[in-house]
Amino acid sequence: MTKKLLIMCGTGVATSTVVTGKMKTWLEENGLEDKVTLHQSKISDELNRIDDYDIIVSTTIVPDDIRDKVIDGVPLLTGMGLDEMYDRIEGKINQ
Amino acid sequence: MQIDKELMMIGIDFQTKEDILESMGTRLHELGYVEDDFIENVLDREANFPTGLPASPYAVAIPHTDTDKVIEPGIALATLKEPVPFSSMGNAELEVGVKIVFMLAVDAPGEQVTTLQNLIEMVQDEKVVSNLAAVRSIDECSKVLEDFKAQKN
Repeated sequence: MTKKLLIMCGTGVATSTVVTGKMKTWLEENGLEDKVTLHQSKISDELNRIDDYDIIVSTTIVPDDIRDKVIDGVPLLTGMGLDEMYDRIEGKINQ
Repeated sequence: MQIDKELMMIGIDFQTKEDILESMGTRLHELGYVEDDFIENVLDREANFPTGLPASPYAVAIPHTDTDKVIEPGIALATLKEPVPFSSMGNAELEVGVKIVFMLAVDAPGEQVTTLQNLIEMVQDEKVVSNLAAVRSIDECSKVLEDFKAQKN
């Protein structure tokens, strides 16, 4: 079954655009593109339906009650801690 | 990456991020890139969803807001005389000393993917960040950006 991956930021405009582009490339390079559908959005539109997604990557601060489900996407913007972040995402895709 | 010279501000001297955002937003507004309420929206966004990025050797911030506040897409660039604290993206408790600010006026994310990706790539390039932080004029600033572009092609 394909996993639904949500990429969100504060506005759904800037950083989630960059992160979505990078995730798409990474999925293709690793032959995972058929296993995942990507969704890009802003956090305020998603909080009430967060459970619809299998994997959530956020570049912005999330409320405490969903923090455990969310993977920090900032490494895609700074280049620091990238491998660890990709490992977590890959783990969730193959779960 | 294309940044108009009229949107570059070099070595500006402010103590708070609010003053910086206001000043850059005013420039974008005066030149017709953004709506009247762009600035207050950017300030509000920055307070709730901070945009400081712990780049090296200096942190960088990329403040922005919703697309409906934008008339024409553009990027304003400011280099700061002294680093100013911004909260970091994804972790508001972590403050970073920002020396370069890119204020983004984005009206259609789908069309501006490449620009945004190039910008982020540039922010990850230590040499460019270091060179940008050191520029003393708009021409020097322009040259750093052009050199980065040339090196990519």
